[in-house]
Amino acid sequence: MSDKLEAIVKAIVEGQDDAAPRLVEEALAEGLPPLDILNKGVVAGITKTGELWKANEYFLPDVILAAEAFKAAMAPLEPKLKESGDNRSRNKFVIGVVAGDVHDLGKGLVIALLQSAGFEVIDLGINVPRTAFINAVNEHTPDILGLGAYMSTTMLEMKDIITELEAQGLRSSVKVMVGGVPTSQEFANQIGADAWGKDALMAMETALEIVGGRNG
Amino acid sequence: MARPMLLDVLHGILYSKGIRLGIPGGWGRLTVAMMGGHTDIVPFQCPQIHDHAMTVARVPARKYYWDVDLNLDTQLAVSQWYGFDMDSAYVDVYNYEVEALGAKMIYSDNAMPTVDSSDPLIKTPADLDRIGPLDASKGRIPMSIEWGKKLIKKLPGIPLRGNFTSHWSLICQAIGYQKAIRAVKRDKGYGKALFDWANDQVLFPYMQAYAKEGFKAGAGVDAWAAYPVVSFDIIDEWILPYAKSFSGRCKKELKMNVLAAAGAGDYCEEDPAKFDKATLFKCLDYTCETAGAKMAFIAMGRTQDWDMHWVVEYAYARGKNGKKVPIMTSLNGRYLRDSTPEEITRKVGEWIDLMGREGGLIFYVGSIPADTPPINVHTAIHAVHTLGKYPIAADLSAVKVEPPQFRPFDEWLNGRPEEDLILQARAWEPEREKVLA
Repeated sequence: MSDKLEAIVKAIVEGQDDAAPRLVEEALAEGLPPLDILNKGVVAGITKTGELWKANEYFLPDVILAAEAFKAAMAPLEPKLKESGDNRSRNKFVIGVVAGDVHDLGKGLVIALLQSAGFEVIDLGINVPRTAFINAVNEHTPDILGLGAYMSTTMLEMKDIITELEAQGLRSSVKVMVGGVPTSQEFANQIGADAWGKDALMAMETALEIVGGRNG
Repeated sequence: MARPMLLDVLHGILYSKGIRLGIPGGWGRLTVAMMGGHTDIVPFQCPQIHDHAMTVARVPARKYYWDVDLNLDTQLAVSQWYGFDMDSAYVDVYNYEVEALGAKMIYSDNAMPTVDSSDPLIKTPADLDRIGPLDASKGRIPMSIEWGKKLIKKLPGIPLRGNFTSHWSLICQAIGYQKAIRAVKRDKGYGKALFDWANDQVLFPYMQAYAKEGFKAGAGVDAWAAYPVVSFDIIDEWILPYAKSFSGRCKKELKMNVLAAAGAGDYCEEDPAKFDKATLFKCLDYTCETAGAKMAFIAMGRTQDWDMHWVVEYAYARGKNGKKVPIMTSLNGRYLRDSTPEEITRKVGEWIDLMGREGGLIFYVGSIPADTPPINVHTAIHAVHTLGKYPIAADLSAVKVEPPQFRPFDEWLNGRPEEDLILQARAWEPEREKVLA
């Protein structure tokens, strides 16, 4: 691997959100293929971060900083990927925090890891009304719909969204994942969700399992 | 009406010293357990139940979180309906300061006020010069003061104590967690400016307002400082030094005993594969330090999957002369919500068998989720009181725990002093009454 790609990996792992995009720009200027920069640099960095988290060597603050660096590195890279004809067929993941809930910390991490795993993520944001989830499923026909909640009062909305998907005849066309601090596997089972994301890394791994382990 | 506290505590102290004047009540049981002993049963401390109590009593959030009497009476009524050993009540403490400083909030019909993190109060460092000092007449700050004063009327004997959000959690509420992390890890000058702002512009004026109203104590909570939400370096470098310095300043200038950063280091690792004894010990040391008590204090962690032998080992390691420090063990709120009564009873039995035989054990729940089935809470308390009868049965699996007997909340409420207030609140309509914020 080139020194530049190794430097990008290091910058992501260390959460250097100023260095990571600069290094990506330098790599592009040096003529490295955008797809190599993505896979061997940026994605390799966030993957390494996930491994460190799993091994108990990284804590949430470290993952947060790495996710920020990943996001910053993707900014100069994404246009070049499109220009270079990166038309991989990617699985779609629609995600949002349910109505009445505005906490987006977990969602941000999940999005970073899903993107690193190759998902096309459509972020509906926070405090998302039920109808917006339904409309997004109709519009984007995602493989997975991810629902997040931070409070035990607002997470009850998830059940109503699933009920509405059933009422609209959409339930069988999309897998539903739920996550967030007050949720649990038992809760996911109770409301009829397909999967529960205990944390961002598990959400990404579970999403990959749902789509058969591959993207792009 | 709430049960008296002070006499009960004194009774407990005498009981612990061998002066037996009958069995103390709930606060006395807690006192004895905190001193390492036991009375007749293992006590169950009332957890944080404010939004759960609101749900059980079916009162509207838009009134409940603005009306001191309704908030207090509902919590006390629900805690008594359940039969916790001691009454307690909690405010939705994390919202008050930023709300009073003008943060955008989300108010809803069925949930506590919550900060809109998509539009944070502090967006740039320049905002620190513009926002503050805290005006104690704004938002629900007057309510928090009134709340504390009314609490001691309802629970005579407890200290007049002001609640507040400790520095780190306040910063997270004001600028968002990610930005707070970036500040303390990557931009330490900004990190210091944020902590100084929280300290000087927000929390000290808040304590001054409490002191002016006669408060002698303060308690600052810091759930955003749980592990692994923060790493140990952040606790050591920022959270504890500011907490200590703040306590010292409040003592010196306001004559108040203030504990800050309660809950910092609370072991909240969610992945059982990552549970680690040395980390747990370090976390328990932090919670011990911030609680100002020598004990094993557990709050919000995923305790249902812990190896509780580690907790026992910790309790003995931190005790003296072969005695353990007291253990306040906590059933995880989600576990309590999602488990069957049989599972809860089994877990209670396992823990009492392991941790309670010699006394010094208190049961607790960090926070009961709003939608927890009441049968589960009744079951937990009933199981603790049945299986936790001293002397603890040699074979707890042979002790039959019958399902708890309880009347529906409304039937129980009938004729009680809180009834009118709660029933009137159910009929409340927001259009008819202005809220403070």
